[in-house]
Amino acid sequence: MSTPRVRSALLGYGLLAPSLFGVVCFLLLPMLVVVWLSMYRWDLLGPIRYVGLDNWRSVLTDPSFGNSLLVTLLFIAIVVPAQILLGLAAAAMLARELPGTGVFRALYVIPWICSPLAVAVLWRWILAPTDGAISTLAGQRIEWLTDPTLALPVVSAVTVWTNVGYVALFFLAGILAIPPQIHAAARIDGANSWQRFWRITLPMLRPTFFFVSVTGVVSAAQVFDTVYALTGGGPAGRTDLVAHSIYAEAFGAAAIGRAAVMALVLFVILVGVTIVQHLYFRRRISYDLT
Amino acid sequence: MTSPRRSNALIYAGLMVAAVLTVAPFALSLLTSVTSAQQFATGTPLSLPSPPTLSNYTALGDAGFGRALMVTALMTAIITLGQLTFSVLAAYAFARLEFRGRDGLFWLYVATLMVPGTVTVVPLYLMMAEMGLRNTFWALVLPFLFGSPYAIFLLREYFRSIPDDLLNAAKLDGANTLDVIVHVVLPASKPILATLTLITVVSQWNSFMWPLVITSGERWRVLTVATAGLQSQYNAQWTLVMAATTVAIVPLVLLFAIFQRHIVRSIVVTGLK
Amino acid sequence: MITRPRSSTLVLMALLTVSAMLAGVAILLGRSADPAGKTIVTVRLWDEQVAAAYRESFIEFSREHPGIEVRTTLVSYATYFDTLRTDVAGGGADDIFWINNSHFAEYADNGRLMPIAAAPDWDPAVIGQFTRGGVLWGVPQLTDAGIALYYNNDLLAAAGVDSAALGEARWDPDPSVDTLRPLLARLTVDVNGKTAAENGFDARRIRQWGYNAANDLQGINLNFIGSAGGVFADGDRFAFDNPQTVTAFQYVVDLINSDNVSPPASDTNDNGDFSRNQFLSGRMAVFQSGTYNLAQIAGQARFGWGVAMLPTGPAGRVSVTNGIVAAGNPNTNHPDAVRTVLDWLGSTAGNEFLGRRGAAIPAVRPAQRSYFDYWSARNVDVTPFFAVLNGPRIDAPGGAGFAAGYQAIKPFFDEMFLGRREVAPTLVAAQQAANTAAQR
Repeated sequence: MSTPRVRSALLGYGLLAPSLFGVVCFLLLPMLVVVWLSMYRWDLLGPIRYVGLDNWRSVLTDPSFGNSLLVTLLFIAIVVPAQILLGLAAAAMLARELPGTGVFRALYVIPWICSPLAVAVLWRWILAPTDGAISTLAGQRIEWLTDPTLALPVVSAVTVWTNVGYVALFFLAGILAIPPQIHAAARIDGANSWQRFWRITLPMLRPTFFFVSVTGVVSAAQVFDTVYALTGGGPAGRTDLVAHSIYAEAFGAAAIGRAAVMALVLFVILVGVTIVQHLYFRRRISYDLT
Repeated sequence: MTSPRRSNALIYAGLMVAAVLTVAPFALSLLTSVTSAQQFATGTPLSLPSPPTLSNYTALGDAGFGRALMVTALMTAIITLGQLTFSVLAAYAFARLEFRGRDGLFWLYVATLMVPGTVTVVPLYLMMAEMGLRNTFWALVLPFLFGSPYAIFLLREYFRSIPDDLLNAAKLDGANTLDVIVHVVLPASKPILATLTLITVVSQWNSFMWPLVITSGERWRVLTVATAGLQSQYNAQWTLVMAATTVAIVPLVLLFAIFQRHIVRSIVVTGLK
Repeated sequence: MITRPRSSTLVLMALLTVSAMLAGVAILLGRSADPAGKTIVTVRLWDEQVAAAYRESFIEFSREHPGIEVRTTLVSYATYFDTLRTDVAGGGADDIFWINNSHFAEYADNGRLMPIAAAPDWDPAVIGQFTRGGVLWGVPQLTDAGIALYYNNDLLAAAGVDSAALGEARWDPDPSVDTLRPLLARLTVDVNGKTAAENGFDARRIRQWGYNAANDLQGINLNFIGSAGGVFADGDRFAFDNPQTVTAFQYVVDLINSDNVSPPASDTNDNGDFSRNQFLSGRMAVFQSGTYNLAQIAGQARFGWGVAMLPTGPAGRVSVTNGIVAAGNPNTNHPDAVRTVLDWLGSTAGNEFLGRRGAAIPAVRPAQRSYFDYWSARNVDVTPFFAVLNGPRIDAPGGAGFAAGYQAIKPFFDEMFLGRREVAPTLVAAQQAANTAAQR
């Protein structure tokens, strides 16, 4: 007795089956496992032992974890605005659509296409104090990656360098989507290009700002490859981003339970930040130009 | 008020500066990779290679990079194929079929978008270990094979906007679901499919943390892990290391160069949604 | 009527075919030409030279045991122990793997190593190092002998330094006793040709280093600590917070940051091979290290070189010595084959291959001849590495939790060697952090 509804349900679930399997097994189940793991101690070699809230206590009072969170916060605070500003500037230049723009636009995306790991290894050479490209050009050693004040800005700069072209594309699309009539009308009203940029272009880019900052924050919070290859956590933990410290805790210090706690804290923070951003922007994005 | 020509010149200057900043590191590393190790050690690092040599690249072959390339390519191909296929099926179900629990399930999928990759690495590792799948090709591939909530989300948006008439017409012609998908939905979704293919290929080719953790030794080592390993084993032998980064980077740059217009347009289209 | 399959079916078939092909390739990649009927035993290690020696040795082995094929896997030292732990934990480790003193304790305690019956002709020091709980946990493969000074003949001659003087050098916090520092100063040259001993020396543009003072546990730190009468570890605990160790570290750190005779720690902290590469390129006059670098130096140095004895410290001339064992994986699928290979590795005939091309000093004593013969045939005098062991020794640290503890130390020591933190308080803080991490 297969009514259309039953058939539809069977078809629907049939089509969904593989992805459902994937989502449950590889996304939902791990979340449960990580919560479970956070209450156990395991060094990968010995038995898994229940320790209750010990890991939580130990991680939340551990100054190096606090440092890691702080460093990540600082990193995001540098990278996301910088990406946005530079991306916007590049998009503004590209939006003029001067001849040859297509080439530039394509060129800027190349760093984003490459693997962050390979890019970091490449920059490692460029920044190397001995035999590195910059040091050779400048004629003297500059300790880019081991100076405590320089290390985080430099790692941030590499990340921004990677992402600007990609971010610019989104802004470019946003700028080009603004109907020319609006600009034409404003020009008739006597607005110059700067005013038009501030009063028309920017506000209409709010959805893009939203998208770019949410995705920017989430991805910046998970930067791992760059830290792994450039500084390994940096001089005295100055570049110990949280994704890297989770890895180091799990596979270097072999404290899987503590790493699980750190991962959960990261998760909670990211969810919180995303929700806050949603709320902030929801009130300000109102229109759709259809 | 600056004349258009002056402001154009300024714009070009800005674009050029940005272009140089973007390309210079790659060019420099390419230069280093074709310099012989001898010359690099004895001369100044940025001098032109005379003569340029491919010795660093052949050394990479000895270091197992050939295999790493194959493993990476295979893994990327299989995951892309699987992910796109299963995501299309799921997105079609969400977009075009009516059944109990459909919306609830969809929000479940969307909720998992919040789960950062970093958080799942440790538990996934444990699960793979328990199943005895450590250091196997399947461990590399399984977590990503069955569709991606991100792709499903984007595809569903796209599929919903396909005009009903098209689909109804096909059904009237006696098309079953598979036909509808292949003949109507997919052709109408080429831009988004291109974008997703690109995004999947790029993110799998460049994947590092998961392969690092789940594989070891030479057998299933992917390109990123091989590069990192080379960098630590031959630390400060920059000519060799730069050859490795070039090998890791060039395939995607080539892919990009070929499909560039399409790709850029696709990213833009995604962003607009 | 449909005479040819619908195109959607074609698409489906194409999809399935492609998937099958890809899966097939994957399976093909996974099978590595398994020869029929043979048992494969895998051996993991980090030393390239010894791996080459092993390959020769296993050819010989397969002649006597045709049913067993042995394959070597090389993993770089920098990631060796991280990956080893995850592999052993996941049950995917090689059948036999190298392990060193610092890391074996936690594996032994968790039953991840095969117990071994000690043979009488194995080096007793190595047996001692790897006995825990009364059981020997691996087959001794090599012993590192002691630490000595490699020197570049040409650079010494150009500076007018006599190699004999080098071998007699003393280091001491008291400048009136210390001869090492002034000697090294004469061997450090800036781009203008001025040595560190002269006025007008430009410490920012040095083209030739005198020495490889750095955060190098086996090559530098432990030897200075021992020669000062200090300790680094006490059983499973880190114990380097004591006055003599402070003296030792202070001296080494000063060599880098005050006397400028060694490269800045920013070059050496994260690159264990930096100094060796400088030495090999002729940019460093004296390189303190062990026999584990001998083969590379002999093969790659393009200048005349020699070996002199370690400098003497306030408490004498004390060197660290280290051994490596090949441990058996108790979770292997073919324990008998593994035991056979282990027996071979611990036999004179098998172990001798390590010495044949001078890759390492065999730990099986009757096999050690091959090593000495090889180097004396090349006119390389290796006695300083051994002579130093006639005096007191300092043990290489180890114990359960060592890996976690050492990882906790790194940020502290990095800062100390960079000259940004004072030695004494850093050692206090580092020791506490290390012991805390080791307990977890």
